[in-house]
Amino acid sequence: MTELGINLPSLIAYLVNFLILLGILYLMAYKPILRLLDQRAERIRESLAAADQARQEATSAREAIEEQINEARREGQRLLDQAREASDRFRGEEMDRARGEAEAFIERAHADIQRERDAAIQEVRANFGELAITAAERVIRRSLDRQTHQELITQVLEEGGSASGNGRA
Amino acid sequence: MPSGSTARNLLVLAGLGLLALLLAGAVMGVIGQKISGQGDGYVSKPEIHLPPQPVFPASVRDRHLGLTPAEDHVEEPQKDADHKEGTAAKEAQEGEAHSTPLPITQFAVTNTLLSAWFATVMLVLFFVLGSRKKSLVPGRFQSLVESLLEAALSFCSSVLGPEMGRKAFPVVATIFFFVLFNAWLALLPFYQFLGFTKDGEIKAHLLRSAGTDLNFPLALALISFIFVEYWGIRSHGLGYFKKFFAIGGLLRLRPAGLIDAFVGFLELISEFVRIVSFTFRLFGNMTAGEILVVMITFLVPFVAVEFVFGLELLVGLIQAVIFASLTLVFLSVAVSHQEH
Repeated sequence: MTELGINLPSLIAYLVNFLILLGILYLMAYKPILRLLDQRAERIRESLAAADQARQEATSAREAIEEQINEARREGQRLLDQAREASDRFRGEEMDRARGEAEAFIERAHADIQRERDAAIQEVRANFGELAITAAERVIRRSLDRQTHQELITQVLEEGGSASGNGRA
Repeated sequence: MPSGSTARNLLVLAGLGLLALLLAGAVMGVIGQKISGQGDGYVSKPEIHLPPQPVFPASVRDRHLGLTPAEDHVEEPQKDADHKEGTAAKEAQEGEAHSTPLPITQFAVTNTLLSAWFATVMLVLFFVLGSRKKSLVPGRFQSLVESLLEAALSFCSSVLGPEMGRKAFPVVATIFFFVLFNAWLALLPFYQFLGFTKDGEIKAHLLRSAGTDLNFPLALALISFIFVEYWGIRSHGLGYFKKFFAIGGLLRLRPAGLIDAFVGFLELISEFVRIVSFTFRLFGNMTAGEILVVMITFLVPFVAVEFVFGLELLVGLIQAVIFASLTLVFLSVAVSHQEH
């Protein structure tokens, strides 16, 4: 045994040496480093989870925004349609009203013209007898019975008038 | 930075230089010198000591190495007045002194123990400096230390599972790094040239690879053995010993009980034989490496030994891995709940 170098105190020294080394390394290296590695692993796991969550949130936010944009687009389209419809309706109404007014105006104008013409004809009729009488007076220098003449002339005019009036109307 | 061609030229030049050194070594070494019949070679003939040599205290060293008290200085050329007289007698005394190892119970600081302490200090420095800052985003050195420990931890976990791997990790990792540091640090040059001299020759090195001292692997083997048995008992209770004393069948007078008992006996033997195999595997490899380095240096003083150094780096790593992983495997066998 001694030829091989077996030596009890040396053996004990190596054992003690190893145990001291184990103690020092355990306290000053293994424990803190393993804790650090665990912390780092935990941190990485957390970061990955956070990144995942952030990505999901971004996706959902984008979807929400797109939804809102679509909603706004639909709303705008709706408003536009509404406005177009309103304007169409309004224009139709206005045109109807304008046409009605124009027609009424024309109607009234026709009626006025008719009335004026009637009045003018009446007046011409009235004045024409007078003129004829005046002219006849001038021609015959005498004054005839006004009443009788008037009747006479009216009669003549009506005969002529109905004849000419038939032809004109 | 040298350009491509310059770098290549430098490489060729260095290669030629190394080749020249190798040739010079072959000529100046003991082979060349013996062929040309000139002398004993550039390096003096090495002495191989199986047991470690005591270096402290000085009195023990002197008694065991045959040195006189005046000659115990490190690396000091000896000018011995008494060299002239009685050479034969002294050589006889030397030979006798060198073949005397320490008695089994006598304590002395041997050169191997000293180098184990040196390795311990280096190991502690390495890991404590590496884990000093503890920043969550590591620097290079911290990163190296952490990745080493993480690799060791994941190795433990791969054999034993995550929970048990973590419990076994400190002891297994310490065994691994201690064996590794001892083997690799022993390749440093001052292991070879620091020593206690007599007649200008180193009679005892100040440092010597701890693996070449049988006590070192034996201590590690005992640690490993106690560690494994401790966890075996802890995870099985007293039922752990049923594996070794499988006499249940024998008591019930079954014929198969005899086989069980015999297998149990073999298990018991193998459990203790592990200590021996652990011890001599590491001791043998480290000692062979040491002898190889010394002998190659003796035969061809330059360059040739570099190949041996490369080999020894590999051997040191392999032995460390074997020691640690065998401990792990034995541990996993001890804590596993398989029934026979």
